[in-house]
Amino acid sequence: MLLIIVLAAVGIYLLVYLSVQAQLQAVRSGAIPTQPGAEQAMSQTLRELRPDRVQGFGVQIVSGLGSVMLIVFGASHVGTEFGWGTFRTLLAHGAGRGALLVAKVLSLALYAALFVFLGVVAAILGSSVATAMAGADASGLDLETIANAAARAYYTLLPYMALATVIAVWSRSAGAGIAAGLVVYFTEGLVAQLLVSFNRDYANVVNYGLSRNVGAVIRGGAGTTTLPDPSAVALPDQGQAVLLLGIYTVVFLVLAFWRLRTRDVTVGG
Amino acid sequence: MTVQSHEVVLRTAGLVKRFGPITAVDGLDLEVRRGEVVGLLGPNGAGKSTTIGMVLGLITPTAGSAEVLGRDVRIRREDALAGVGAMLEVTSFYPYLSGRDNLTAIALLRGGGALTRVDPLLTRLGLAQRGGSKFRTYSLGMRQRLGIASTLLPNPALVILDEPANGLDPAGQREIRELIRELASENRGVLLASHLLYEVEQVCDRVLVIKKGKLIASGTLAEVTRGGSSYFEIVVDDRTRAMEILRSLGVKEIRETPTGLDVVAEPARGAEFNRALASRGLYASAIIPRASSLEDVFMELTEAETPSASPAS
Repeated sequence: MLLIIVLAAVGIYLLVYLSVQAQLQAVRSGAIPTQPGAEQAMSQTLRELRPDRVQGFGVQIVSGLGSVMLIVFGASHVGTEFGWGTFRTLLAHGAGRGALLVAKVLSLALYAALFVFLGVVAAILGSSVATAMAGADASGLDLETIANAAARAYYTLLPYMALATVIAVWSRSAGAGIAAGLVVYFTEGLVAQLLVSFNRDYANVVNYGLSRNVGAVIRGGAGTTTLPDPSAVALPDQGQAVLLLGIYTVVFLVLAFWRLRTRDVTVGG
Repeated sequence: MTVQSHEVVLRTAGLVKRFGPITAVDGLDLEVRRGEVVGLLGPNGAGKSTTIGMVLGLITPTAGSAEVLGRDVRIRREDALAGVGAMLEVTSFYPYLSGRDNLTAIALLRGGGALTRVDPLLTRLGLAQRGGSKFRTYSLGMRQRLGIASTLLPNPALVILDEPANGLDPAGQREIRELIRELASENRGVLLASHLLYEVEQVCDRVLVIKKGKLIASGTLAEVTRGGSSYFEIVVDDRTRAMEILRSLGVKEIRETPTGLDVVAEPARGAEFNRALASRGLYASAIIPRASSLEDVFMELTEAETPSASPAS
């Protein structure tokens, strides 16, 4: 699974570079008609692929992929114990319910850290390859800024990990955890974005959801993307975003812990 | 030689479990002592697995208590289970790990010297050759053996086995019976839930029969089967005439069998039946007094209506 993030990050860089570069050349050669400002926008996109912008574009890729991966992996990590019946076996051998959940959550948190680290390394690699292919200036890699952005990205993965965990515990199913987690991830973000695009005042409501606060934490890092981004309109402030994501994480984990502690474990779990 | 003590290793008192309107276990009192094998019998849905679930802290009792080695499972679950090895009805392990690695994982969880017992237990349960194979490749019988091996990792004072012979061939079943007796001779208490009455008859010192969550009979095998009726197996050609003759002697319960008749009556009446049949020109090939087997008693007890009074004996 970790190899997927490395390949995906490098692949996304190359795909974006090759497609934008091809369009840019077509525009410059007059092969396709162009809108005013389009060439400038494409050049700006290529600029975002350079190593000095990894903390923006690269970390956003890692955060987006990471949320999905953590939902899938988190739900599988917990839910399969019920499906296989191993949760029941471990409890029958004296394991504590709370201890099992803590072990699961800690291993997921470690997995997320490894995921972000490898993802960022892959983003740097993809950026370097794309920049070398473009023959552009590859200097300006700022590891400290990238580390700061990566830490923020890591923090945004935790509520999704906790969400997948609580759904998997509640439903005793990896499949339900994955499905429900992904539905929440995609629809909540989409609905929030649509509502704000209709009327900015809706931000007062949707800014208490997950996706807008994740966006605020990611974009609040040093060196955010300079690409035009409609979803960045009226995002919550940094303090609120950090606090709310922390509260979501804790609430989800407490619910999972409570459910696990109070449930009768019959066949399966 | 092991010094046998008779310490109570498991005691439940007034154990009750209700799932909504359904009472799965209804005021169950039971005891298992070191060195004895106690059979827990009952038809499907009688509450055997629920009882075991409560003893292991998997299911929270609605009322009553379960103590293992004097420790209340609800209050000191992890301490209490440190001395228990349990194999549940459905044997579940990590499918992507080998049998040995699954035992190792449980041994790490158990701590103490459990790790050193992994290989000896694989050998004892006949899994040494396949210890390195993935669990998902195991046959049902091998899975059962691995489950039993896992129960012995903590060197337990109490072993709980829920249908351990499921999926085993006759030779495997016999090995398991021998193993259960060995466990008792090692001064462990064994609680055995099984549908195989022959197995229970062979290995158990005491049996508990439950139905709809209530204890309806308990005691040694002799005590429980004494409650059942004695009968004669009469091998005779003309079953219809033989039945008429026996009915004229006041016998009420007569069942036809492929070879003759089963006649429920006191053991002393064998000569009377022989004389009556012979005097009317009917000669029985055999008149064999039979005592009720555990199966007969089990069927009698579980097919009868559950008494509304408190559990028997």
